[in-house]
Amino acid sequence: MAVRSGVASLAFDPTRTRGRGLVDIARSFVTATRLGWQMEANWTDPLLFFIYSIAKPISSTLIFVVMVEVIGGPTTHELRGFVVVGTALWSFVMSGIAGLAWSVLEDRERYRMLKYVYVSPSEFLVVLLGRGVARVAVGAMGALITLLLGVAVLGVAFDPAGIDWPLLLVAMVVGLVAIVAVGVALAAVCIQTRQEAWSYPEAAAGALFLVCGAVFPLAVLPAPVQVIGLLNPLAWWLEGIRSALLASPFSGIGGPGSLFAEWTGRTAPDSLEIVVALLATGTLVTLAAIVGFRLSDRRAKDRGLLDQTTGS
Amino acid sequence: MTAPALITQQSRSPREAAEWSRRQILVTNLRAVMGRAYPRVRGMAREKSWLFFEIALPFLATSAFVYVYRALQAPPQYVGFVVLGGAMTAFWLNVIWMMATQLWWEKSQGNLELYFSAPMDFMSVLLGMAIGGLFMAATRALVVLVIATTVFGVTFAVDQWLLLLVVFFLTLTSLYGLGMVLAALFLMWGREAFHLNQLLQEPVYFVSGLNFPVGRLGILGGLAISLIPLAVGLDAMRQLAFADSSYPGGTPSPAMEALILVVMTAVFLFFSRVALRVLERLARREGRLSLRWQ
Repeated sequence: MAVRSGVASLAFDPTRTRGRGLVDIARSFVTATRLGWQMEANWTDPLLFFIYSIAKPISSTLIFVVMVEVIGGPTTHELRGFVVVGTALWSFVMSGIAGLAWSVLEDRERYRMLKYVYVSPSEFLVVLLGRGVARVAVGAMGALITLLLGVAVLGVAFDPAGIDWPLLLVAMVVGLVAIVAVGVALAAVCIQTRQEAWSYPEAAAGALFLVCGAVFPLAVLPAPVQVIGLLNPLAWWLEGIRSALLASPFSGIGGPGSLFAEWTGRTAPDSLEIVVALLATGTLVTLAAIVGFRLSDRRAKDRGLLDQTTGS
Repeated sequence: MTAPALITQQSRSPREAAEWSRRQILVTNLRAVMGRAYPRVRGMAREKSWLFFEIALPFLATSAFVYVYRALQAPPQYVGFVVLGGAMTAFWLNVIWMMATQLWWEKSQGNLELYFSAPMDFMSVLLGMAIGGLFMAATRALVVLVIATTVFGVTFAVDQWLLLLVVFFLTLTSLYGLGMVLAALFLMWGREAFHLNQLLQEPVYFVSGLNFPVGRLGILGGLAISLIPLAVGLDAMRQLAFADSSYPGGTPSPAMEALILVVMTAVFLFFSRVALRVLERLARREGRLSLRWQ
């Protein structure tokens, strides 16, 4: 009996059930990121993957460039930089938002692995974040190529020596966190919905496009909608990146007739205001997204939604 | 159960039971059309979230394009062009997401082999998918059109209502015909289909002139008019719906574009039938009907 007890105590290591905290989280995140990248990239040859990754952001940019050209002609040259940067960065938003939501739908409906991923020792949200990061990387590539195309082909005025690096770095890091937070919120929605929710992230991104000053200043919107725009971290993120990259006279947040100008008496926010506003709105959105995800997670477990498959 | 018990009262042998009359074939295919359309129409009532995500949010996305033109102080008809384009987006998205990828999706779910083994023409399944999807897309398009027209004060000036309706329906038939071709092709291309769908969005929106007159794209626009139903249909509808405003030239007349749509419909339906036959033969020979996730 003593021998059997000894064997049992050797076989069962209680510390293993507690995990190794941050080490386990990091390992789950890295594994999920690698898996996500493989799923994103291994379906075709590198050339087709490259074309696929850049075709969407470049086309989006060209749509707006042509719209501006059709109406304004060559006189709107300065506006082109505003539009190119706004649409190029938007590919981050599209991929960041869609990445997490599609991970839920793919794993639940297509590969039917969500329930197994869920019951694995890895933290579910960490796995989702890892999967989403891979798609953000694809979006980043598209954004970079679009910006390069904007400078090289579309004649966007750009001076590398004039880049405000600290602002660029802070805005990019905080902005990406906010984008991923919106993605988490959409993933929470997709856990509750059916297979056709593939298009929901794009629809959400399209709606956010209205209130972020990506291709037109918030000043053209009605005042109540401008307030929503000012509470949107993506608007501050775009303003920050634009200010850091371009010496453009246009501001997405401010400008003549804007609510910002009315409240502050100035036409555009300075770097500090941008960072503070981005941090404040980004924190709010991130907290709201985590709470929403936890509620959705609980409801999904309660109603058995994690292993449902749907279709129409 | 013995073999004779399987023979129905109308037929004397299994072989005779397998020989169907034209009426039986037609009725079965009509049932298949209705059966495939049903979950899409009924599903609209079961999943309420689509009302918000498929109607309210796309309206906001369309509004963003309207505000671009407002910021540029564009002539009012350009707002109308955007609203019309926004409404037609619903059909294009429906075609690529709920037609083109659907068979590949059905294969992943294990339904495809059931479709092929069922006693019906496969085109009936595609037609049912198209009708169900059309119902969903038409609802979204109508809501976007009505709300955007009201909110942004778009005024239409139509001289030729009949031609406008004909062009609209021809655009839909050619779009869904293209969807049927893509459905067969995507099934062959496997999981690349999902990614290729992404390529069929913004790039197609750009070359089709979804938010500006396609004639502005020059040769590229001409190429789009000869290949993409969305481009030619939208251009014709804009010419007809805003007859009182100056429309940028460089594209054929609406009547000529209607003719192009007729040709497109015939070609796409023919190719979809051929593609499905080839696909079915290949799938049966290579046993890939039930091969999931490839």
